[in-house]
Amino acid sequence: MTLLEAAAALRRRETSSAELTAAALQRIERLNPSTNAMQTVMADAARERARQADEELARGEGRGPLHGIPIAVKDLFCTAGVRTTGGSSLFANYVPDHDATVVEWLRAGGAVLVGKTGMHELAYGITSSNPHFGVIRNPWDRDRIPGGSSGGSGAAVAAGMVSMAMGTDTGGSIRIPASFCGVVGLKPTYGRVSRYGGMTLGFSLDHMGPLTRSVRDAAAVLNVIAGYDSRDPTSSRRPVENYVPDLEPSIRGLRVGLPDNFYFDRLDPEVDSAVRAAFRTAESRGAEIVPVRVPDIAAINTVARLILLAEASALLEPHLEQRDRFGADVLSLLDQGRLVAATDYINAQRLRGRMQREFAGLWQRVDCLLTPTTPITAPRIGETTVSLGGVQNEDVRLASTRLVRGINPLGLPAVSIPCGADRRGLPIGLQIVGPPFAEALILRIAQALLPGEAPVPPI
Amino acid sequence: MNKDCSKDWKKIAHASGLGVPDEALERIAQSLDALETDFRPLVASLTPDAEPATVFRPAPPTDEEDAG
Repeated sequence: MTLLEAAAALRRRETSSAELTAAALQRIERLNPSTNAMQTVMADAARERARQADEELARGEGRGPLHGIPIAVKDLFCTAGVRTTGGSSLFANYVPDHDATVVEWLRAGGAVLVGKTGMHELAYGITSSNPHFGVIRNPWDRDRIPGGSSGGSGAAVAAGMVSMAMGTDTGGSIRIPASFCGVVGLKPTYGRVSRYGGMTLGFSLDHMGPLTRSVRDAAAVLNVIAGYDSRDPTSSRRPVENYVPDLEPSIRGLRVGLPDNFYFDRLDPEVDSAVRAAFRTAESRGAEIVPVRVPDIAAINTVARLILLAEASALLEPHLEQRDRFGADVLSLLDQGRLVAATDYINAQRLRGRMQREFAGLWQRVDCLLTPTTPITAPRIGETTVSLGGVQNEDVRLASTRLVRGINPLGLPAVSIPCGADRRGLPIGLQIVGPPFAEALILRIAQALLPGEAPVPPI
Repeated sequence: MNKDCSKDWKKIAHASGLGVPDEALERIAQSLDALETDFRPLVASLTPDAEPATVFRPAPPTDEEDAG
């Protein structure tokens, strides 16, 4: 059941928040041992909050579509009185005294927080094989990674534990697990959703957004979490709008960009085929497919990597004397970041500005871009390299981030939706990218291409 | 210096007093070299008028400034 379907059932009194919450907790109990998607389960607090929600709803004090709905948030969003680890042993006992803005606003919308999802250590990686809190497994195949860093959120939503889990995305960390787990993952425009109270990885690259089972669910959540927050210095004052698309929205006449460089290089052939099929679907619904040459994404990826190396290491340097507190992959990245020269960081930011202007020109020719989200489906746990398009032994992390990372320094909104499966039944992700603050547009296109619920794994 | 490497990361790390063990530096050198290879030509293409994307704001933007 999607979030909005559950909300409708609540309004019709066909179910209660207590029943929905009990069902979520039961499913977590049944499936968490084999997926490790949820790091902290807040059963008692959730039951109490659900009881309050039912009372409020009975009094006619509805707070909107999230009221009474069980949800989860990635374990880097601060939650007052509840441990918030960031997937790191450094913060294993950190109990904040405040909620992140996103959590505060979700609670104000009546959502019932049932738990906190596991993640890649410090959100700095894509496997979610966490050395401190355990390996997170993909519900579609427990021998495979869910992606990351919001791997627990992707796995929890795919497994039906909750209909929405919040994630964060610094170089693809919402969209990659959405792709590998076959769910919807929305990375809004930088500044659209407050970063306050989310543990930072890259100051200028971090984005907060939902993972859900339907496009309209992601939009309904954005309606709640979008808006200006004075506690985030990069928060935008641009007015919010209603992001929820119609059930069957028109995309007639929209110019959908088909990149003729970069995005279709070195793909798993089944990914290539599924994404090209999505273009045909868009065309059949009246969209105009416009071949476009996109700016140099490989260069943008390089700039994004350098900026993140420097920003993450600047933030975490005070902890780096405790080298045994970090997993090997994260420590390696943090060591690399300490060797980035200040001049290189500044030059990367100068290049970023130029690339942003180059990309802005693209929106004169098309309304959105469609691309694969990841060039591959979910790799096996422990797999470190892939071979694609004649290139042998491409690093799994670099391959998984190749098509998504560049969108972060540009701050553009992007959504990943499932668009098919490979021969093993593993989900394939389609990425839709739009101009700044065009969330409503990309969600409308996403809804046209995925009008129903994401596929359910065989569990 | 490694002939494939434009920078000697060990010397830089030691001179900076970073306390990164040599074996760790050996592991990351290849990644840093690859990044360097990709990044250096991009820097060479910068013109003096290119300002950084992150700018200092002496005061928060007004509604009108930001909404544009």
